[in-house]
Amino acid sequence: MDNKYLSVSAITRYLKAKFDSDDNLRVVFLKGEISNIKYHTTGHIYFSLKDETSKINAIMFASSAKKLLFKPIDGSKVLVTGRISVYEATGGYQIYVDEMLEDGIGNLYIAFEELKKKLSKEGLFDAKYKKQIPKIPNRVGVVTAPTGAAIKDIMSTIKRRFPICEVILFPSLVQGESAKEDIVKNIKLAENYDLDVLIVGRGGGSIEDLWPFNEEIVARAIFECNIPVISAVGHEIDFTIADYVADMRAPTPTGAAEMAVPNMSDLISLISNLKIRLNEAINKNVNYQKLLLDSIKGSYALKNPLIMYESKKQKLDMLLDNLNKTLLKKYDNSLHKLEIVKKSFILNNPTLLYKEKMTKLDSLIEKLELINPLGVLKRGYSLTYKDDKVLKDIKSVNTGDTLLIKLYDGEINTKVKSVKENKND
Amino acid sequence: MTKEKEKTFEEKLKELETIVNELESGEIDLDSSIEKYTSAMRLVKECDEKLKNVEEQVNKIVTENGTLENFEVE
Repeated sequence: MDNKYLSVSAITRYLKAKFDSDDNLRVVFLKGEISNIKYHTTGHIYFSLKDETSKINAIMFASSAKKLLFKPIDGSKVLVTGRISVYEATGGYQIYVDEMLEDGIGNLYIAFEELKKKLSKEGLFDAKYKKQIPKIPNRVGVVTAPTGAAIKDIMSTIKRRFPICEVILFPSLVQGESAKEDIVKNIKLAENYDLDVLIVGRGGGSIEDLWPFNEEIVARAIFECNIPVISAVGHEIDFTIADYVADMRAPTPTGAAEMAVPNMSDLISLISNLKIRLNEAINKNVNYQKLLLDSIKGSYALKNPLIMYESKKQKLDMLLDNLNKTLLKKYDNSLHKLEIVKKSFILNNPTLLYKEKMTKLDSLIEKLELINPLGVLKRGYSLTYKDDKVLKDIKSVNTGDTLLIKLYDGEINTKVKSVKENKND
Repeated sequence: MTKEKEKTFEEKLKELETIVNELESGEIDLDSSIEKYTSAMRLVKECDEKLKNVEEQVNKIVTENGTLENFEVE
């Protein structure tokens, strides 16, 4: 009756089938702490999940393991998703892990991302709301724990860099459940202390320790604070919501102190540098003006004031010259013309002008001669006048009359002896 | 606190820097540059004095009832 004995593999297969057909085991959410973790060269991860009383073996295949957002180590508290089945070779049941998150932190991470998204959408991180951090504050406020590295670092850094600055601590809880309310209360309180800048933060710690700085009320208190706020939470790598909403984010509390106050020696050398630049600038300015003045004083025109007239004089000379030349030319021209006239034929032979007329005159004279009664006398005729009248007939003459006889070359005064009239008519 | 407040150190320093830059630009006439130089030197003196003469401040802590007490970091 060997039939009633099952083979090991048969029962194992049976159990495996049982596991695999159970819907509750197909998708299982488990939380626990990792132990005995082994990273295989194939990329698979073998480990156990345990809590205070129980333990379950687990495997995460390389394909899932490469999607991990953190490196699980022994002791890590994790949240896993997977299916539970039987590994036939060992007959052990185990969870085949598809996803694994850090417990708590994973949830916090989701909450962080959601709050960040929400506040960002509301504009709390906008650059336009960021207040300028004053360069040289008189009073710096610090909201942090009164003990621990953070306040020590901040105060010693300020003392070292800028000891004339007053630091006022607003002691606050910075971790645990009631920390967020305490931080908010102190941020609001700080507004009454005439502060130039407020540092809000704490030293390094686990993500849970830093969590109050990821709380919405803290973010809003920082946003609404009328003092410029520098956030200084944890270490360089830790980013909190407070960092996004603060006017400035410092990587560490020491960094926040360095941002809040200037270095005294830097400031002293800045001022002395400004003093040097000031003196150089004024010297340069004065020298430049002096040079300018010298160059004006030394200018040719001022040194030789006559130079201003020189050109005018020159022009005048030139005009005079031109005038002379023009006059001379005109004179010359006239002279020349005169010469030409003088040299003209007619002037040189003026008789020519009247010779013709003379001839004419001669002929006229001759003609006149011809009709001149006196001319007749030349030919032997004479004229007889009685009482200055020419005698034309005998009737007006009586014996005894005095007559004047004009001859060609003289006159005869005579007395009439007798008068005899011709009788032929 | 509404009475005219003395310029802060930072304001003085900023004013000083502005004057130095102006003078360095060389775009100021001689008269006003001497005037500016004089006021800049006064600012230098004031800033120097502030840095050198002000006493070290003692750290304070706000107590439960809102008053300030000296505070020493252990």
